[in-house]
Amino acid sequence: MTELVAEELVHVYREGGVRALDGVSLRIGAGERVALIGQNGSGKTTLVRHLNGLLRPTSGRVLVDGADAATLTVAQLARTVGLVFQDPDRQIFAPSVRDEVEFGPRNVGLAGAELRAAVANALAATGLAEAASVNPYDLGGSRRKLLALAGVLAMRTPVLVLDEPTTGQDARGVERVRALIDEAHRSGRTVLTVSHDMRFVAETADRVIVMRQGRVVLDGTPAEAFGPDAWEVLRSTHVEPPLPARVGHRLGLASIATDASLLDALREGAPGAGERPQ
Amino acid sequence: MAAVAVGGFVGPLLLVALGVVLPAVLAGVIGQLARLTLLLSLPIAISAVLVNVFFFPGGETVLLRLGPITATAEGLVFALEILVRILAISGAITLFYLTTRPAELVVDLERRGVSPRVAFVASASVQTVPAMVERAGQITAAQRARGLDTEGSAWRRVRGIVPIVGPVILGAIGEVEERTMALEARGFTRPGRRTLLWWPPDSAWERVLRWAVALAVPVLIVARVAGWLTWLP
Amino acid sequence: MLTLEAVSYRYAGARRAALRDVDLELRDGEVLGIVGASEAGKTTLALVASGLAPRAIGGTLRGVVRIDGRDVAAAPMHEMAAQVAIGFQNPATQLSGVTETVFEEVAFGPMNLAVPRNEVIGRTWDALASLRIEPLAERHPARLSGGQQQLVAIAGLLALRPRHLVLDEPTAQLDPAGTDLVAEALSHLSARGASICVTEQKTDLLAGLATRVAVIDAGAIAFSGPADEVLADPRLADLGVAAPSAVRLYRVADAAGLSPVARDRLTAALAEELDVR
Repeated sequence: MTELVAEELVHVYREGGVRALDGVSLRIGAGERVALIGQNGSGKTTLVRHLNGLLRPTSGRVLVDGADAATLTVAQLARTVGLVFQDPDRQIFAPSVRDEVEFGPRNVGLAGAELRAAVANALAATGLAEAASVNPYDLGGSRRKLLALAGVLAMRTPVLVLDEPTTGQDARGVERVRALIDEAHRSGRTVLTVSHDMRFVAETADRVIVMRQGRVVLDGTPAEAFGPDAWEVLRSTHVEPPLPARVGHRLGLASIATDASLLDALREGAPGAGERPQ
Repeated sequence: MAAVAVGGFVGPLLLVALGVVLPAVLAGVIGQLARLTLLLSLPIAISAVLVNVFFFPGGETVLLRLGPITATAEGLVFALEILVRILAISGAITLFYLTTRPAELVVDLERRGVSPRVAFVASASVQTVPAMVERAGQITAAQRARGLDTEGSAWRRVRGIVPIVGPVILGAIGEVEERTMALEARGFTRPGRRTLLWWPPDSAWERVLRWAVALAVPVLIVARVAGWLTWLP
Repeated sequence: MLTLEAVSYRYAGARRAALRDVDLELRDGEVLGIVGASEAGKTTLALVASGLAPRAIGGTLRGVVRIDGRDVAAAPMHEMAAQVAIGFQNPATQLSGVTETVFEEVAFGPMNLAVPRNEVIGRTWDALASLRIEPLAERHPARLSGGQQQLVAIAGLLALRPRHLVLDEPTAQLDPAGTDLVAEALSHLSARGASICVTEQKTDLLAGLATRVAVIDAGAIAFSGPADEVLADPRLADLGVAAPSAVRLYRVADAAGLSPVARDRLTAALAEELDVR
């Protein structure tokens, strides 16, 4: 059971002295499915890099599973928190897809049958099983991105952090990522997704955290975070709620984030109208 | 060049003082210059001095005897001569790097009719370094996130080289083609002069100084060959 | 007008053709959207349309690419630069790497084309203004975020004042605010008579921007037509292309068995919302 806690986290970059995190406190419980949103430069990427120790706090602290992250190396934290970067080309180095996927799990100590199973599952989940012996650079952008994801998935970390998993993906790739988040959630893993795609966020997260200038300004269910009460704050962060939320607002319906919840609310006499279906 | 042309060590020493140290002090980069010069030329200087002090052929005035090898006064003088020349050359080059902005150099070369492509190579080789450093940093972060241990023993760190250097090189190669296309699409290969937006100021006395320096080299070479400089030790 | 007539293209060393028998017309003042799954041939199409393939990267081309009726294979590459500008999705490779300020970077193209100095300066400020990045003018291009770099790269293309602009997923690296800026700049450019061909995964962006859309699948044009018709076509899903949000919402509404009253309310609200945008 892995929970992530940030306490009064502050991060000031040495170059330029930018205060990228300005006192972030939050708790992400084990098995939660969370989305982190906000404009470029709001501090999202800085925050997630604290969760596996790639960045260290200027002040405040990060607790992973109750342990102060400052006492652990990145290699140790990588056993708990798997972080997938936005740009796959900044990590792919192996001569084949399979070798590339094996790199992470080997580093965290998987071997033998366990390693083979982890790699096979990750390849299957990302649709890359048939491309296992292909050179990664012969894959198109969409599949290279899925490959980077498979490489972290195979590490079987209890926490999965995805930085912009849908950029540059075609529709099939986006569906794969969605299915993969659902599967990770079902198996009890904590999933944190950083994304600009509000529709994707509304449909794949149970909790939305909105950042602006290094602070958390909203934290709630998608229906709350995209609801009318939050609009003023969202506008100040240049985040536009997904289309169903905007249409729902015009129709005077509250608590709408997804197509499904909008239709539920419109269906006359439907019980629980306006609630997000589980 | 002048340092080689002028014989002895007093001449080159004067040149170092006038041509490297003085302008470096004026430009306020003397500290950096000293550090870099030490770093770059110290290993060569030490080996040059040792080799010459002990193995200078025809050295007669013995200063010190260490078993089968002897240090000679002639060797020491010659070593000093070599040393000041190394100082003059490396100092001048370092000074050039410290005081010349690549962009100004490129614009100035172009203004004098050098092909933009040559200027591009000169400038791009300097400018790609920060981009490569940035890229290597991002790759290191991504591999550490996958459990690559860069904080452990020396052996572990060695094992970490391939996953980090691999993508740096693969990425750089992959980007060359796209970068070439992007340049081509922006008319970079068009023959003829480009429009320049600005060029570095070039005052009258700078021009005079440049010509004076350029003239000094042949003058000194002639002076040396003609034997006018023999009064300098 | 830019036309592709029965164009097939094969990359150097590749076994199969990346484009097969493509006929396409980019009319003056129009925004043509190209959609398709990853690896379907969108980038190749952009390279061929801009004349970079095969001239800069080799490979074999069959068929003809014409600008205003003239075969581009006959013109030197640098003449193409004044006719067709092309932008790629990776901002890092689009910056020249030799400039020290954003201003010089944006001015780079027109400077190469020997546009008079005062006009270069005017065009550069115009291009910076149209993407609202004038505050970046003095910054070093290498020290910007990926999104900012992408805007600078696009500004560099706008400063070329191209009659034809080909963009390969120009907003892939941008956040929604940056995406909106690009969309706005492109619609201004097309209003001034330029023709724009843009490949995109973001069909929501194309829904508000493109006049026509062509769908590419396995190197061939599967179908094409007016943007609203193509983007509402149910075949898109099979070709790996996501329908725009509005289309998906209408579609779910139809399938969900709403009462006629509820559906009318939804339709009206949706129309209002899209109109405001």
